[in-house]
Amino acid sequence: MAKNKVKIAVKDLNLWYGDKHALHGLNIELYKNKITALIGPSGCGKSTFLRCLNRMNDLITSVRVEGEVVIDGKNIYDKDVDEVSVRKRIGMVFQQPNPFPKSIYENVAYAPLKHGIVKKGSGCDELVEQSLRSAGIWNEVKDILKEPGTGLSGGQQQRLCIARTIAVKPDVILMDEPTSALDPISTEKIEALMLELKKEYTIITVTHNMQQAARIADMTAFFHLGDLIEYDETEKIFINPTQKKTEDYITGRFG
Amino acid sequence: MDKNNIFYDPSLKRRHLKSKLFKYFTLFSLVVSLVFLAIFLLDMVLKGSSAVQQTYIQVEVSYNQESIDSYRDAVAKKYLNLLSRAALREIPNQIQKNPSLMGTKQVLWMLADDQVDMYMKEYYYKIDEKDMKTLEELVKNGMVDKKFNTIFFTHGDSKSPEYSGILSAFIGTILTLAVTMLVAFPIGVATAVYLEEFSKQNWWSEFLEININNLAAIPSILFGLLGLAIYINVLGLPRSSALVGGLTLALMTLPIIVVSSRAALRSVPASIRQAGYALGLTKVQVVKDHVIPLAFPGIMTGNIIGLAHAMGETAPLIIVGMIAFIPDSPTSVMEAATVMPAQLFTWAGMPERAYIERTAAGILVLLSLLISLNSLAVYLRKKFEVKW
Repeated sequence: MAKNKVKIAVKDLNLWYGDKHALHGLNIELYKNKITALIGPSGCGKSTFLRCLNRMNDLITSVRVEGEVVIDGKNIYDKDVDEVSVRKRIGMVFQQPNPFPKSIYENVAYAPLKHGIVKKGSGCDELVEQSLRSAGIWNEVKDILKEPGTGLSGGQQQRLCIARTIAVKPDVILMDEPTSALDPISTEKIEALMLELKKEYTIITVTHNMQQAARIADMTAFFHLGDLIEYDETEKIFINPTQKKTEDYITGRFG
Repeated sequence: MDKNNIFYDPSLKRRHLKSKLFKYFTLFSLVVSLVFLAIFLLDMVLKGSSAVQQTYIQVEVSYNQESIDSYRDAVAKKYLNLLSRAALREIPNQIQKNPSLMGTKQVLWMLADDQVDMYMKEYYYKIDEKDMKTLEELVKNGMVDKKFNTIFFTHGDSKSPEYSGILSAFIGTILTLAVTMLVAFPIGVATAVYLEEFSKQNWWSEFLEININNLAAIPSILFGLLGLAIYINVLGLPRSSALVGGLTLALMTLPIIVVSSRAALRSVPASIRQAGYALGLTKVQVVKDHVIPLAFPGIMTGNIIGLAHAMGETAPLIIVGMIAFIPDSPTSVMEAATVMPAQLFTWAGMPERAYIERTAAGILVLLSLLISLNSLAVYLRKKFEVKW
C-alpha cells in the first residue's frame, strides 16, 4: 500500500462540547481515492470527527477544536481559511436525505450557481445532467426535473443529495451514515455508487453497518469513547484486528 | 362468569367512568363557549339588521335663493321636524354643485329624521303631537318608506344618527393598519431572523427573549401612552392622525410578530440548514433562499393575526386622539382619523336610540373584516405550505 496518497492528515485533533472532551488527540491519515469507513458504537465520536473534516462543527457554538486537519497541505483550521470555502471542497451527505423543498433541477443547480461555477443558460443544464448522471439517478428523473425533489423515494432523494454535493465539484465527500434510513435495495444502489465515485473523489463514510464497511471500504477506522482505537486496511481490521476492543466490537460482543 | 373471562378487571369500570366524565367535562366547556359566542352574534345580528334600511319621506323640495340662505325654507314648514337636518343642510351644496337645479321644485325621497326612523322600525321614539299627525298622514298616503341604507356605507360620522356612517372610520382603519404593517412587518421579521439565525445563544439573547415575550403581554394602553409621549410630544407628529395611530399599533404588534416569526423560523428543520452549509453556502444564502421561504407561511400567518389584533385595538388609539369626531374620510396618514372600534366606542356612548343599531351594524362590519383577514391567513398558509 505504498502507493496510497495522503489526502487528509489529522494531527492531534481534540474537540470539546463545552466541558465534555469528545475527541482525544486523534492522529490519522486518510488516503486519496479510497473509501474510509468510520465504525464504532453510538457516541464514540465518529460523526463528530467526520464533521471536523469540513468544519460543520463550527455551527455549534459550544464546540472548541484544537489540532490540525491538513487537507492537500493546508490546515483547514488556520486563521486564513474560510470555513465556507472548506465546505465547498469537502462535500457532505447526511443520514436523513435532506433535499431542498425545491425542484430536482434547482436542488442540483442552486449551489453551483451561487459559487459561480456555472451561469444560468451557460453550462448549468449540462452540469445538472452530468451530476445527476454521476449520482446514477439521471434516467429516473430526466423527465421530471421540474418536480419537487421531496417527492422522490428515500433512496432517490439520497442520490439526489449526492448529485447536489458533487455538482459543486468537491475533492472529498463525507457521508454520515448515508444508507441507515434506506431499504436494502436503495442501500445497494448507494454502495455501488460509492464504489464508482471513489475513482474521482476521496470518500469518508460513517456507518453502523459492519457488513457495509466490509463490502465497500478500503480502510476502516474503529472509534471508541472519543479515541481512535485502530485504523488499518479493512480486511485486516475485520480478519485480524490487533486490539482486543476492535475484535470485541466486530464480533458483536458490545456496541 | 368472571372466572371464565380472563380479561375481567374489576377496576376497569371505574376507570372508564372517569375517562367518560373527563370527556363530558371538556365537551361542556366547549358548549359553554359556543353558546356565549352564539348569543353575542345573534344579539348583534338582531340589533344591527334594522340598520340595513333607513326611512325616507317623499316631499317637495324647492331649490331657490331662499333655500340657499336657509335650508329651512327648502321644504314645507310642517315637514321640517320630520326630515333629517343633516340631509337638509346639504341642499345649498347641491345647488352649488349642480346650478341647473336653481329655481326648480322637485318631489324627492328625503332622508327622515332619526326619530321618524325609530317610529317606522317600531323602536322607542319621541315625536311631538303636531309632527305625529303629519307623519301619520304621510304614512297613510304611502309617502314614507324604508330604503336600503347606503348612507351607512358612504358617509362618515355625523351628529345626526340617520346621517352617520362607518366609511371614514373604515378608511381610517385601513390607513392606520397600512402604517402599522409597513413599519412592523419588516422590523419584526428582520428582528426574528437576527435572533433566530445570527445571534449567539448567551445570557444577552436570553434576556432579550424574556423581554420580548413580556412586551407581548403589556397592556395596550401603555403603548398608547408611549406613542403619545414619543410621536406626538417629542417628534411633534399630528395628533389623531393615522400615522401616529399606526406607529403606536406597530409598537404593540412588533413583539407578536417577532415571537410568531421566530416560531416559524424555528420550525424549519435543521437538516435544511445543514444541507446548505455543507454545500459551502454562506449564512445569508442559506437563510434567504432556503430557511425564510420555508418559514414564510408561518411568518405570514403570524403577521396577519398580529394585524387582526391591531385592528380591534381601541385603548392606545384613544390616548393618541383617534377618538375624534371625523365626518369626512381622511385622505392621507397625516390627517385626523378615527378607526372602527373607536367609532363604535363613540356611538355606543351616544344618547340617541338610533346609534344602537349603527353600533351593532358596525360591529358586524368589523367582525366580517376580521373573519376575512383570518381566512386570508389560513388561505396563505395552505397556498405556500411546502409539502414534504
